[in-house]
Amino acid sequence: MPQTLCAILYLFLLLGWNEAAHCSTPPPPKRIVSLAPAMTEIIFSLGLGERVVGVTTACDRPDAARSKTKIGGMANPSLEAIVTLKPDMVVMNTDGNPKGVADRLAKLGVRTYIFRARRLTELPAGIREMGRALGARPAANHLAEKIEQAIRAVRTPQQGKSSHAGGGGRRALFVIWPTPLIVAGPGTILDDAMTMSGLTNIASDAKVPYPRFSLESVIERQPDLILIGNGHDGMKKRSKGFLKSLRTLEAVRKGRVCYMDDGLYRPGPRIPAGMEELDRCGKMP
Amino acid sequence: MKQDSGYPVLVAAALCAASLCIIAVSVASGPRFLNPFSMDGETCRTLLAIRLPRTAVALLMGGALGASGAILQGIFRNPLADPYVLGISSGASLAASFGLMFGISLFTLSVPILAFMGAIATGAAVVVLGHGRKGLQPERLLLAGVGIGFFLSALLMLVMTISVDDGLKRAILWMSGDLSMVDGELVPVGLLFILTGLVLALVRRKGLNALTLGDDIAHSLGFNPTRERHLLFIAASLMTAASVSLGGVVGFVGLVVPHVVRRHVGSDASVVLPLSVVAGGTLLCLADAIGRTVAAPLELPAGVIAALIGSPYFIFLLGQKKAQ
Repeated sequence: MPQTLCAILYLFLLLGWNEAAHCSTPPPPKRIVSLAPAMTEIIFSLGLGERVVGVTTACDRPDAARSKTKIGGMANPSLEAIVTLKPDMVVMNTDGNPKGVADRLAKLGVRTYIFRARRLTELPAGIREMGRALGARPAANHLAEKIEQAIRAVRTPQQGKSSHAGGGGRRALFVIWPTPLIVAGPGTILDDAMTMSGLTNIASDAKVPYPRFSLESVIERQPDLILIGNGHDGMKKRSKGFLKSLRTLEAVRKGRVCYMDDGLYRPGPRIPAGMEELDRCGKMP
Repeated sequence: MKQDSGYPVLVAAALCAASLCIIAVSVASGPRFLNPFSMDGETCRTLLAIRLPRTAVALLMGGALGASGAILQGIFRNPLADPYVLGISSGASLAASFGLMFGISLFTLSVPILAFMGAIATGAAVVVLGHGRKGLQPERLLLAGVGIGFFLSALLMLVMTISVDDGLKRAILWMSGDLSMVDGELVPVGLLFILTGLVLALVRRKGLNALTLGDDIAHSLGFNPTRERHLLFIAASLMTAASVSLGGVVGFVGLVVPHVVRRHVGSDASVVLPLSVVAGGTLLCLADAIGRTVAAPLELPAGVIAALIGSPYFIFLLGQKKAQ
């Protein structure tokens, strides 16, 4: 008799557990709205592009994202445009989407997923977590592993390198915008990638992630290499005047100025390619 | 312009009717036109959760700014006085921008509360500095407001220059009068403060009329100019602070709306104040509707649109006045 009771109790517990597990894990979303270009790139790389029903006006990668319905900008998306698309999940991040947007969406009863990884080392775990939320675990694991491999690939060769070998120990500046000069500072993926690639970011002691830097500071800190992000159109033309102001620097005189793709700007699938490119730039003669 | 006694009533009726039409069209306009004759569940949800709260905020903000402008232009006897010339908006902007840029958003209402406190603290500082030997003097008050406003604006620019952070864009949008993220939860509190300020101003409307004639005449009519100015300044500060807290900084409405209203109905505060509320609210409501519709799904700040609509009309009125 006690054995029967125990068996029934066990069965109830098991059923209850299953039910609870079922309730606590919401089904994967079928209609996704992405509020950040990096999120759009990750979602598409996880093979979920078909489920994306809305993106921001800044979401330009991959090409398929351009044809998706637009819901406005990153900082002030149109709540109405989002609600009209009837999404079952809105994916956003903490690097560009204001907290107020998530609060308003929550009040409107729209489910949100907030991607919180902001550092290179946090990225694989962030992508795995996002994969779980979107019901794309294998693809997320695969993408996370690719990023981990890319991190290992740049880290390993640097170990034991002397400062004069390859790019090791070179002092570098990553320019986001030339006038006014905005550069990559501490706590950014760009800073992480530079450090991992054996470069020393001359703006790593700034107080904010993307500080406005003075030309005098750049000249004083004598970077060996200037990296210019091609995150905006016509950066070569835009940076002409800036480079002219820095013509006394050896990096400029010797042509150690590297224009880079915006892969490292966006914490997503183009990070490995971005790191390879950074590695190549770091080894410029 | 010679007007018969029925003219202001006619203008008021026409303005109210036009406002109702504009508000109705504004509520229906947006990224998707909401047809009132075919409402499904989704349309109702958009209407109740987004459009109506947004319209209510625009009406309250515009109305409060219109009335504040009418009060301040009266008590300063200066046609250029408006809630923003007196530094009140700079104080609110500085406090709110700190909240937005440095992530002081422990709870949803942090930024509105900071803005309100910033506006009230600035208003109080202006009053303290505006006190001279002869009490609260309009010139001194105005100069104190301008001085404090410039100082706070400079501080704000300094904060914005050294901070290139995530909240910066949100702060810029907030200072352009962007109503895309306004929260309906704030409406009752905002309404309470705005109504308090408006009722106080309406109760003191005779004092406001007297002050526009000059302190000596006000005194001879039995009013204490310093006391009246104090009370009316508190009313205007309350309304401006509540307006800024509701949805950010919207310039121009407080400057232009009272001028336009006075041009049509004369300068009696008992008529100008309520009509400035109606006209200001309607202008901002229309501006917000245009901002969310013309470039949809992009949201254009209502404050910018209001200035774009109102400025040419203001210049046109000036041209007409010159011709007369």
